[in-house]
Amino acid sequence: MRGRVSRLTVLAFVAPAVLSLALVGIAPLLFAGWTSLHFYNLTKLRRVAFIGLENYQTVLGDEVFWQAVGRTLFLLGTALPIQIAFGLGVAIILHRPGLNLLKTLTRLSLVLPMATTYAVVGLLGQVMFNQKFGVINQLLPGPGINWIGDPQNAFIMIIFWDVWQWTPFVALVLLAGLTMVPGEVEEAARLETKSWWTILRHVQLPFLIPGLVAVLILRTADTLKLFDMVFTLTRGGPGAATEFVSLMIQRVGFRAFDQGLASAQAIILLIITIILAQIYIRIFYKEV
Amino acid sequence: MKKYILTNAVSAAALSLGLAVGGISHAMTWSLKDAAAPYSGTTVDVVFLLRPGYEAIEAMLPAFEDETGIQINIIKHPYENALGEQVRDFVADGDLDIALIDLVWIGNFAENEWVIPVDELQAKFPDIVDPDLDINDFFPLVLNAFGGWDGKIYGVPFDNYSGLLFYNRCLLEESGFDGPPETWAELKDVYGPALTKDGKYAFALQSKRNETQSADSFARVIWPFGGSFLDENFRSNLLSEESQAGLKFRQDLMQYMPDGIVAYDHAEVVNAFAQGDVAMITEWSAFYSTVVSEETSAVADCVAIAPEPKGPAGRKPALGGFSLAVASQADEAEQAAAWLFIQWATSKANALEYLERGGVPARASAYADPALAETYTFIPALVESWQDGVPEFRPRFAEWPEITEIVQEWGTKMMLGEVTTEEGAAEIGSRMEAVLEAAGYYSGDKPLAQ
Repeated sequence: MRGRVSRLTVLAFVAPAVLSLALVGIAPLLFAGWTSLHFYNLTKLRRVAFIGLENYQTVLGDEVFWQAVGRTLFLLGTALPIQIAFGLGVAIILHRPGLNLLKTLTRLSLVLPMATTYAVVGLLGQVMFNQKFGVINQLLPGPGINWIGDPQNAFIMIIFWDVWQWTPFVALVLLAGLTMVPGEVEEAARLETKSWWTILRHVQLPFLIPGLVAVLILRTADTLKLFDMVFTLTRGGPGAATEFVSLMIQRVGFRAFDQGLASAQAIILLIITIILAQIYIRIFYKEV
Repeated sequence: MKKYILTNAVSAAALSLGLAVGGISHAMTWSLKDAAAPYSGTTVDVVFLLRPGYEAIEAMLPAFEDETGIQINIIKHPYENALGEQVRDFVADGDLDIALIDLVWIGNFAENEWVIPVDELQAKFPDIVDPDLDINDFFPLVLNAFGGWDGKIYGVPFDNYSGLLFYNRCLLEESGFDGPPETWAELKDVYGPALTKDGKYAFALQSKRNETQSADSFARVIWPFGGSFLDENFRSNLLSEESQAGLKFRQDLMQYMPDGIVAYDHAEVVNAFAQGDVAMITEWSAFYSTVVSEETSAVADCVAIAPEPKGPAGRKPALGGFSLAVASQADEAEQAAAWLFIQWATSKANALEYLERGGVPARASAYADPALAETYTFIPALVESWQDGVPEFRPRFAEWPEITEIVQEWGTKMMLGEVTTEEGAAEIGSRMEAVLEAAGYYSGDKPLAQ
C-alpha cells in the first residue's frame, strides 16, 4: 500500500542499531553472567568449572566488598549534594538577566572540566596535591599537608576533584531546566515576592525536577563506576581509603585475574545501580 | 626449594654440557648474521618496562637489527600493567613472541605453558644456538630464581636486581658517621634519630599499595628477622615470632621516614633520595644510574652503595628481576628470531656495554674486572647480595598474583595503624591459605614448590 513502510524496511533500519547494542552491550553482559557462575581465572583456564552461585556467595559475605560499596556510597553522599548546591547556585546566577557576554564565556568554560579526560584529572591531582612541591600546599599556610599519603586527606582530595569535574554538568542541566520556566510566570512571581527561595521552591523547582532526577541517576551511575581518576591519583590507597567498588572489581579481575568473582561483583553492582535509579524515579517523580 | 635449585642447576649443567658436546666445529663457524639469515625480515614482539635496563638495550638494538634483519617491536608498559597485558595476550593467543617474566611470574608462565623451556628450544633450533651462550656464567641464584621452574630453565636473566642500601655519604658524615649501618637495628636506633632532623629523614621504605608493598616493604622486613611467608607445610608463617619481629620493626622504623610513606613508590623514594631529603634508601640496583647521574640527582657526588643491612637472621636482601623467554604462541620463525634476540641481549659480549648504558647484567664474567667497581660502585654490594639472596623472597608459584593483592591490602593497613601486625598477619594468613587450599597444595594435587 502506498504510504506504508514494509516490515522489511523497518527491520533494515532498526536491525543495525539492535545488533550493535547486542554486540556491544548485551553480549558482554551475558558473558559476565556466564563467568560469574564459573571458576574462571585467566591464569588457570584449564580449571574452568561451573560452581553455581558460589562467586555470589563469596561476594555477599565479603566484608572488603561491602566496605568498598559503603565507601562509594559515602563518596556519592558527600560529593553529589555539594555538586547540586554549587551547580544550582551557578545556574541561578547564569539565569539572571544581563551580562550576556560574560555568561556566554562562563557557559563555555563550564565545559572544560567535563571535557578533561578522567585519567588526566588524576595525574593533575598527583602533581597539584604533592606534599612537597604541589601548588595546593604552596597556596595554603602552614606545613605542607600530606594529601596522598593520609587516608582522610586522600578521600577529601577525591571529593574535591569529583566536585570540580562534575559541578559544571549539574549547573548546565539545571540551567536548561530554568530556561523552561515560562517568563510570564516567573515575572509574576517576582512581583508577588522578593524572596528568591519562595520563587525557587514554588516556581522554578517543578521545572528542575526532571533535570535533577537525570543528574541523580547519571551521577550515581558515574560514581559507582568511578575508576580512571582514582586509579591514576591514589590507586585506591593509601591502604583501602579510596578503594571504591569499581577499583576493587578491576583489582580482582585484572590483577588477581579472577574474572568469575569480578563478574559476580560487577553484576551485584549493576543490580545496586538499577535499584537506586528506581528509587530516585519513584520518589522524585511522585513529588512532581 | 633446595630441591628445585638443585634440579635447576642440573638442568643448567645439562644445557651447557649439551652445548659443549654439540660441537666445537659449530663454535668455530657460528655467526649471528649467518644464524639469523633464514629469519631476516621477521618481527619479534616483546614487552619492555619503563626502566633504565630496557632503555639500555633499546639503545643497543640498531646493531642487532642491522646485523640480523630481524625487527624488534617493543611495547612499553609500566611495571604494574606488564603482567596483565601479557596474560591477556597469551590467553588470547596474541602477538607476543617473547615473555618478559618477573621472578614471581615464572610459575604462572611455566605452568600455563606460555613459554618454552630453553632445552626444548635449543633442540628445536640447534643451528641458532650461540656456542658462547655459556649458561653457567649467570649467577646461579639469579638464573634459577628468575628463569627456572620445576627443574627447567625457561627464561634467561635480563633485567637483574638485588636490593642495595643507597646512602648519602655527605649527610652521614655531617652527622658523624663514617660508614653505613651494618644492621637494621643500628639503622633504626643509631642512624634514625641522628639523621632525622631539619625536615630531612634518615630512611624511606617504598611501601605503596602495589607490588612495591609486598616486595620492597613487607618481604624486606620479614626475611632478615628470620620470618617468611610460608612454613615448610605451606601454612602461613606470618604469626611466627620472627615474622612479627620484622613487621613490628617496620612500624617502629616509620618514625624516621617521611609522612605518607605508604604512598611512596620507587619513583618517590628515589626522588626523595636524589633530592637529598632522605639519607638512606633500600632500592633495586637498577636505580643506580638514576641516583648517580647529575641530570637526575642533586646528590650524585655523595651517593655511596652498600649491601642491605643484616637482621638477626642475616642479610637476606630483596631479590627481584626479569628474564626473557620465548613464547610458545609464536610461529617457528618468530620463535627462532626471538631466541636469537634473547641470546644477543643477554650475551657475554654485550654485557659490558649493557652495564655502561645503565643495565645490570647477571653474568659473573661481566664483573670479573676489579677496576669496574671503581666506576660502578654498586658492583661489590650487588655481587655479595647475589650470594646471600633468598630465591623464594616472594613465592614464585602461580598463586602469587592473588596472594600479593592480599599482602598489599593488609600490609598497608598495618603501616597505617588500622590493624595491629598480629591482626594483619592473621588476615593475610587465613586468606593466603584459602588461595593455596583452592589451588590444591594441601590436598597434594600440587607440589609444595615456591
